[in-house]
Amino acid sequence: MSEILRTHDLRAGYGLIEVLHGVNINVDAGEIVVVLGANGAGKTTMMRAISGMIPRTGVVDFLADDIAHLSAHKVTARGIAHVPQGRGTFPELTVEENLRIGAHSRRDSFAADIDYWYGVFPRLQERRLQRAGSLSGGEQQMLAIARALMSRPKLLLCDEPSLGLAPLVTRELFEVLQRLNSETGLSVLLVEQNANLALEIASRVYLLETGEIVSSGTPDEYMNNDAVRKSYLGH
Amino acid sequence: MALVTIKRNSPQHIAVRVLGVLLVVIAVLWVPTKMTTGNIDSMTNALALVIAASALNLVIGYTGLISIGHSAFFGIGSYATGVLVSKYGWGHGWSMIFGALLAFVFGFIVALPALRIKGIYLALVTLAVAVLFPTMMKWPKLEWLTNGARGISGIRYEELPSLPFLGELKGRDDRTVFFYWYAIMLVIITVLVCRGIVKSRMGRALIAIRDNEIGAEVMGVNLATTKTLVFGVSAALTSLAGSLSVARTGVVTADGANLTLIGSIVFLVVMVVGGAATITGPIIGALVYVWVDNYTRTASASGEGLIGWLFDWSAVSPASIILSVALIVLMFVAPDGVFGLVRRLARRVVVIK
Amino acid sequence: MSRFFQYLFDGLSSGAIYSLLALCLVVVYRGTGYLNFAQGEMSMFCTFLVWKLNDWGMPLWLAAISGMLIGYLGGATVETTLIRPVAKRSQFAVFVVAIGLFLGLNSLAGAIWGAPPQETMPSLFPNEPDDFQRIFGASWRYQSIGILIVGLVVTGLLFALFNKTRFGLAMRAVASNADSARLVGVNTGRVLAASWGLAAAIGALAGTMVAGTTGEVVPGLMFSYFVYASAAATLGGFDSLGGAVIAGLTIGVVENMAAGYAPKWIGQEMRLGVALLIILGVLLIKPTGLFGEQKVSRV
Repeated sequence: MSEILRTHDLRAGYGLIEVLHGVNINVDAGEIVVVLGANGAGKTTMMRAISGMIPRTGVVDFLADDIAHLSAHKVTARGIAHVPQGRGTFPELTVEENLRIGAHSRRDSFAADIDYWYGVFPRLQERRLQRAGSLSGGEQQMLAIARALMSRPKLLLCDEPSLGLAPLVTRELFEVLQRLNSETGLSVLLVEQNANLALEIASRVYLLETGEIVSSGTPDEYMNNDAVRKSYLGH
Repeated sequence: MALVTIKRNSPQHIAVRVLGVLLVVIAVLWVPTKMTTGNIDSMTNALALVIAASALNLVIGYTGLISIGHSAFFGIGSYATGVLVSKYGWGHGWSMIFGALLAFVFGFIVALPALRIKGIYLALVTLAVAVLFPTMMKWPKLEWLTNGARGISGIRYEELPSLPFLGELKGRDDRTVFFYWYAIMLVIITVLVCRGIVKSRMGRALIAIRDNEIGAEVMGVNLATTKTLVFGVSAALTSLAGSLSVARTGVVTADGANLTLIGSIVFLVVMVVGGAATITGPIIGALVYVWVDNYTRTASASGEGLIGWLFDWSAVSPASIILSVALIVLMFVAPDGVFGLVRRLARRVVVIK
Repeated sequence: MSRFFQYLFDGLSSGAIYSLLALCLVVVYRGTGYLNFAQGEMSMFCTFLVWKLNDWGMPLWLAAISGMLIGYLGGATVETTLIRPVAKRSQFAVFVVAIGLFLGLNSLAGAIWGAPPQETMPSLFPNEPDDFQRIFGASWRYQSIGILIVGLVVTGLLFALFNKTRFGLAMRAVASNADSARLVGVNTGRVLAASWGLAAAIGALAGTMVAGTTGEVVPGLMFSYFVYASAAATLGGFDSLGGAVIAGLTIGVVENMAAGYAPKWIGQEMRLGVALLIILGVLLIKPTGLFGEQKVSRV
């Protein structure tokens, strides 16, 4: 299977404080890779480092090109879409405008894509002229994912999409992610603190602790590991 | 690594400090005894700026409230002295105290919006105050008090009090020397008030407000009282500078340089160039400002030197151009001003532990 | 009644200029969250350039367009080279740099073109003594009608830019959530530079029209207009384009009526006072303005 993303010795932080101490991960085409980690382990920092939101050193190979020196808007143009923690929708823009701005890095016509996402998330179509700020948490998360995918990325970075969502809504969301993965071959890098549902859709799993990858394996290995179950699965 | 390390409160440290104080005293004495009358007058002008910039520093540098309205407080002091001395025959000292009280009250009122808003919104309130003040002073309805756009002139003291170590004061030269000492006294008061506030419990509260407002409130700082009080004190001190300037020149007009928005900008320039949030900064800033102003004025008028040659084309003195460029450049290379820069360089040579 | 219509019309015409300049402030504020204190001086400086180009023989309308282009480039350059680098440090640093620009441009204009001797400036519109139309008993000068039309057209174009174009959507996205804008591929640096450029270009046009009404260009040209525009932006709520326009026109009408109907108390001298009292009043009572979002940072 071809490799889509590989980081080598990825280091990043804020100011003088280094949060990521050399992370090595890879994502193959068509995989859903889940990174588990506690609060403050550096999950969000890792995502921001990959998408170019913060300065970083090391190697970020995307489709065999090093993108570690590119700024965020250029990373997006290469084909990585990042749904940030807390969804990051544009509250003052309407739902439809949020989707349109999602296609900002594309030069071709994207009207059909908007219709496609309205098909996937009918509730967004009902609210298409409402301000995004007026949507519920679950609707905003759907909007955030649809917006990210408007750019037709090859890799989707998803930062704790379950945060603040009811378990039922989270399940629905993960089902959509899984469907997209199997239908379109979209590769996903997902970081999660609450891992139960994430492990169900994962192809492979990494464990991030205090800025370093401490282990990796298949979802089954993690679900059967007592220490992991205690820390991340809550049972 | 520093070349020399000195322990705090060791004999060497005390010696350095005594030497510093001695140098300042010599400089203060040297000005009125060795300088020309014109230069002494310039120094008095610089001292007025020291007062205003130190006062502004309390608000901006220490508390983080942006004000470009301090020219109005300068104006309150100016007009209080101008009106009370020329029309009601008050002595200068009393007019100055009255002006300071008035400015305190106005400063307190201006700071009230700061309890609800901050950042550019407070800057806008103070902008409004700065622009409104000269307009008010020229308002026909107030002409009976302020003489409208003509302003008040000929504010003179028939007799200056004789100071014990100066002997009897006569003529223009002696007047200049008198106001120099007068200004020194006001600067000492200002510096002591600022130092007192900054070193006190209230000073720590101010810095807490600047760095983290919510944190400060949690710590138990009474935001409302602290902010309004500091603004009031700052306004009162600024009015002293205005009062001093009117006493020195004998004239006050609504469009006088330090009473308009330009005055507020000058105070800000002095504070930032010298070094915000330090006691020494505004003093250095004022000296730099007046020196640049005088030097460029003469250099561009005579066309001599680098400045004269560079600004040969200029129709007016290029002082403001140089200062504005300096202001912007400083924000890039030394946001802590000239004093901050000097202090950082000095610490490479001497470190006090 | 004819007096009423005269004040109303004069107010709308001066209000159109306040609106234009207020739009400049709002465009910059929405993008960066800063109030550009040098906005007035930037447009004053561009107006001097327009005057100089015209003086050299260029037709005035062409000179005005050139001035707007120079303004655009100048504004964008200021944002990238002076504002953005210090913006990382603090809002106070941005404020100081803007004040430096204010002082620098003002004194530079004075130094290059002389401080008090006024330079005569032609108007973009017919401006002979008999160039007016009588409607409802009030004289509607072609010049004032022209300013009002230009004001409305520019406002319309700005609305179209923001609401109908890809770049306008990007600008609104940056204003709404700058981080997310970067994540969807918006080059935020270019958007911010363009905001400043756009504001400077509109400012150049506003300055040219102001100088046309007074017939002279002086370093203090835009000073009171900046204060009026700040009042309009405050009243309109700083992040609302429509609010800025309505507030600008309102302030123009209110101050003209006040000055006209209370010549002894307000008159020409205290017109500016009306605008300043509006700033004070709005900030004390409703700091978000009439049309603003909740973005004002409350203590």
